[in-house]
Amino acid sequence: MSAGIALALTLLFLTLIKSVPIVFAALGGVISERSGVVNIGLEGMMTAGAFSAVIFTNLTGSPIVGLIAGIFFGAFLGFILGFAATFFKVDQIVAGVGINLVALGGAAFGLVLIFNQPGASPQVNQLGPGQLLPQITTGEAAFIVLGLLCAFGLNWFIYRTPWGLRIQACGENPRAVTDAGLDPLRLRLYSVIASGALAGLGGAFLSICEVNLYSDGMTAGRGFIALAAVIFGRWTPWGATGAAVFFGFFEALQYVLQGRISWLPSDAMQALPYLAALFAIAGLVGRVRAPAADGVPY
Amino acid sequence: MKVVLRLLAGPAGAILLAFVLAAIAMLIAGVNPADGFYWLFRGSLGGRRPIAETLVQTTALLFPALGVSLAFRAGLFNIGAEGQLLMGGLLAGAVGAHFAGPQWLTVFVLLLIGMVGGGIWGGIAGWLRARFNASEIISTLMLNFVALSLAGYLVAGPLKSPLASGAETAPLLPNGWLPAFPSIGSISFGDTRLTISILIAIATAIVLRFVFTRTVFGYELRAAGEAPEAARRSGINMPRMTLLALTLSGAVAGLGGAAIVTGVLHRFNTSLSPGYGYTAIAVALVGDLNPLWVCVAAFGFGILEAGGLMMQANAGVPKDAIRVIEGLIILVLAARRYFATRATAAPI
Amino acid sequence: MNIALRLRGIRKVYPGVVAVDGVDLDLLPGEIHALVGENGAGKSTLANIAFGAVKADAGSIEAVGTVGLVHQHFELVGRLRVWHNIMLGREPRKGAIVDVDRARSRVAELAERNGLAIDPDAMVEELPIGVQQRVELLRELEREPSVLLLDEPTAALAPAEIATLFSTVVQLANRGTAILVVTHKLQEVIDYTTRVSVMRHGKIVARYETAQTSVDAIARAMVGGELPQVAQREKTGVKPCLAVRDVSAGVDTTTISGLSFDVHAGEIVGIAGVEGNGQTALADAIAGMVPFTGSIELDGNAGALRHRENIAIVPQDRHHEGLVVNWTIIENAILGRQNLPGLRKGALTDWRAARTDAAAIVERFDVRAASLDVTVKTLSGGNQQKLLVGRALIGDPRFVLAYQPTRGIDVGAAALVQSRLIEARNRGSAILLISFELDEILALADRVLVMFRGKITGSFTGAEIDRGKIGRLMAGLT
Repeated sequence: MSAGIALALTLLFLTLIKSVPIVFAALGGVISERSGVVNIGLEGMMTAGAFSAVIFTNLTGSPIVGLIAGIFFGAFLGFILGFAATFFKVDQIVAGVGINLVALGGAAFGLVLIFNQPGASPQVNQLGPGQLLPQITTGEAAFIVLGLLCAFGLNWFIYRTPWGLRIQACGENPRAVTDAGLDPLRLRLYSVIASGALAGLGGAFLSICEVNLYSDGMTAGRGFIALAAVIFGRWTPWGATGAAVFFGFFEALQYVLQGRISWLPSDAMQALPYLAALFAIAGLVGRVRAPAADGVPY
Repeated sequence: MKVVLRLLAGPAGAILLAFVLAAIAMLIAGVNPADGFYWLFRGSLGGRRPIAETLVQTTALLFPALGVSLAFRAGLFNIGAEGQLLMGGLLAGAVGAHFAGPQWLTVFVLLLIGMVGGGIWGGIAGWLRARFNASEIISTLMLNFVALSLAGYLVAGPLKSPLASGAETAPLLPNGWLPAFPSIGSISFGDTRLTISILIAIATAIVLRFVFTRTVFGYELRAAGEAPEAARRSGINMPRMTLLALTLSGAVAGLGGAAIVTGVLHRFNTSLSPGYGYTAIAVALVGDLNPLWVCVAAFGFGILEAGGLMMQANAGVPKDAIRVIEGLIILVLAARRYFATRATAAPI
Repeated sequence: MNIALRLRGIRKVYPGVVAVDGVDLDLLPGEIHALVGENGAGKSTLANIAFGAVKADAGSIEAVGTVGLVHQHFELVGRLRVWHNIMLGREPRKGAIVDVDRARSRVAELAERNGLAIDPDAMVEELPIGVQQRVELLRELEREPSVLLLDEPTAALAPAEIATLFSTVVQLANRGTAILVVTHKLQEVIDYTTRVSVMRHGKIVARYETAQTSVDAIARAMVGGELPQVAQREKTGVKPCLAVRDVSAGVDTTTISGLSFDVHAGEIVGIAGVEGNGQTALADAIAGMVPFTGSIELDGNAGALRHRENIAIVPQDRHHEGLVVNWTIIENAILGRQNLPGLRKGALTDWRAARTDAAAIVERFDVRAASLDVTVKTLSGGNQQKLLVGRALIGDPRFVLAYQPTRGIDVGAAALVQSRLIEARNRGSAILLISFELDEILALADRVLVMFRGKITGSFTGAEIDRGKIGRLMAGLT
């Protein structure tokens, strides 16, 4: 009986840990899309976050510096996408795909250039107990708390502050924002930078907290699962967070079930989170409405 | 003249940019660009064998790029060419290990099976979009990962070759091998990896161009992509078109997977594609979604892929620089509006 | 005399067309100034330039105080509340968050001061169009503008709502605001304004004191001569063609319920009504774009509506619903007809036949274009619309649904379209005309049905057709 409880607890903790990167990326997706920019590049921004976190941790020995680097480089890619989308009015989806390739290739390129080994970086100092939030015992737990804080903060920001309300307007009818004397393009740019920062933070978690190195393709599509979470969560911060945890559950399930169920091969179980995302976007009941000006260059 | 000017403003300009970026990448890697470009071109065009290898890479890219172009023209974003390619190759590999018949029949059947595999994989995304309005951007990408898992499982388990130690299917029976590229005069390609698959790919491009410009189906597909609301109101069955377009798109990519299995590897394993399905997106954009220009674009990228290995080996420039360049090309080409209106696109 | 708004030498060029060509205009405080002209004359562009939404290529703008603009198609954020829309950009704050209570009370007070009833907490997208306009108006008034521009303010209003709007406008003028009304409704100009400026081809061609001019004089100045004639209606037989029975459907927030009427061969039935009363739901139901209950039959056959040979539709929005702007005239000419036997050879499109078809349409419908191979994007709005209508009418269809067939085009093109519709009627087509311009309905229809809140509230035939009665029904009065 206690073995069962232990299993359930393991599943619970693992779910939370596996959800963290998706939650951050999904929150990024929410702020971006609410302002009217579809951010397909979340995957690339996570990669940039993960890779730069490792580089800077390696450089300085401090995972905190690595964390900040991760946020910064994610935000930087966000800036590129945001700038392209607002001032060059490019096709946001195509640009996002481009960003992903640039980040993925850039990281692989960097691995060889900087560490002289393809495939994976050397190990670095991991974000440990007490480093992020003094009272919290493990790095992962600190991130979980941070994630909840971000969800709470984003929710408050979007629905209660003037800037959040204006960003909502940008995503529905940017013309109204212009008429009000504001600049919707600049608001959108800031939102996409913020989304990149959040995704970068999620990526940094992957490389310097959950493990302690960067390896090719370690983001494994989480940036896209995050997009599914945004839709599933109806473009709200708490909804996206809940959806992200839902997908994280399936990733955690894979680890817990491995070896326990003989007829379910571990390879097949790797597909669980992706299948969950598929079912999620297909099985939506009721009307699903993206922000009205989402994806449309202004 | 007008065509040339229009290209310069878009795809050709992007290619020029690519050269500049490649030079910068080489400098970053501490390599003299002259050296880097020398090895790039020597590795891709410097002789019979390099050219053959370049054409092999061109073929591998051309099939999925044609598939992606087709979907794009219909207003759909297919980032799942990688998975569709994989599924096509998987089916071809699985069947080809046991199918014994005259060569022309076997090859035909295996390529057809590849189309079926890729078609089903694309069709799933098409159905999800048609029936549930689920974004094909997300679904095709999710299916890539599912394909990888599925193929990985099958190839390490039920379909594992009894002969090999690694995870792969049993080798194709010899009559399933694509014939080598025919000799030109005294030049033979029997000792290279080049097969008639390049000819099949070009033929596919010609067929697609014909479909787009001359058939009613192609007309309706283009209408659906350019003006979805007008198309819907003119009587075109949009859900059906979505399903058909993504299925066909997947089928063409799957054909590519089968071509790699029958022509190059002669078996299936999960290293079939080093990302051809993703690079194909860049190829499609550079080719401006026009099947004939996509062939040219595929050749250009084929040079990068084939030459990149030589460049890495001899000049020390990591070939991942090429991925970065591809991404930047896509970023630049994003400035051209590819989708008409978002009004009827799936929520994302 | 102080001038509230002074425009001098305003010039604005778009690719291929000079929208505004050297305009001088003075607005005095307290006046209600009408800016009239036909579609494409440049009046909306000029208003947007005066407001600051569009930058002029040349010329100067001097304004005393702020300039406000109420758009023709409102620029509101549907999914936000009324108070939020009105206070956007100037939200009262309590620290870092918005002070919702203060915002609400400010909006209530503003509404009351201007005599406009509004619920600050309502979600804008749920409000009827007339009320939405009030929100947009209040948003501009919140900034206490000294100049207020109104772009086609009465396009979506019923006669009673028009009176209310203008009483608010007059009140504002009396308080010293300078008002510019961009409109093509000449009767309203005569009824409510003090001065009139007429624009044609981007220039101001005439200026009048309203008291000293007439609808005819203004109309002639707008067109630069005599108004084009429309074809004559001939006597036709009356066999029922389209039968609508008890049809109910819903599109977005508007629904229709229990609609029943007939359209006979050789007649034009006009659906009169203010925009937003279910016309789109009806049109979409007939076109098969939305599911509906009840029955719609063509010659007694419900399935016949699916076949494009029988039915031709001129959609409301030529850019998004009718034409593929990046395609050539030929490619557009066969859209919707690509499966007809004459245009299709097996699995292939017969492009030669398509070219002949396109040439016929261009000729019969006076589509002015350099060649058949130009993209439709390069055509003017009027020519695009003529192409659209031509495509619909060229095959002599049994039934035609024309939804706002002369929307946003110049008088010449409108006259041609109307003539062709009448000619189609004379040849025996059954035509259902939906238009938000009562004048158009009255000019073309043999029978008029009035739609209000999704139901048919009145039916008038021949001599019974009475502008006053119809106008009242359109507003929901009896």
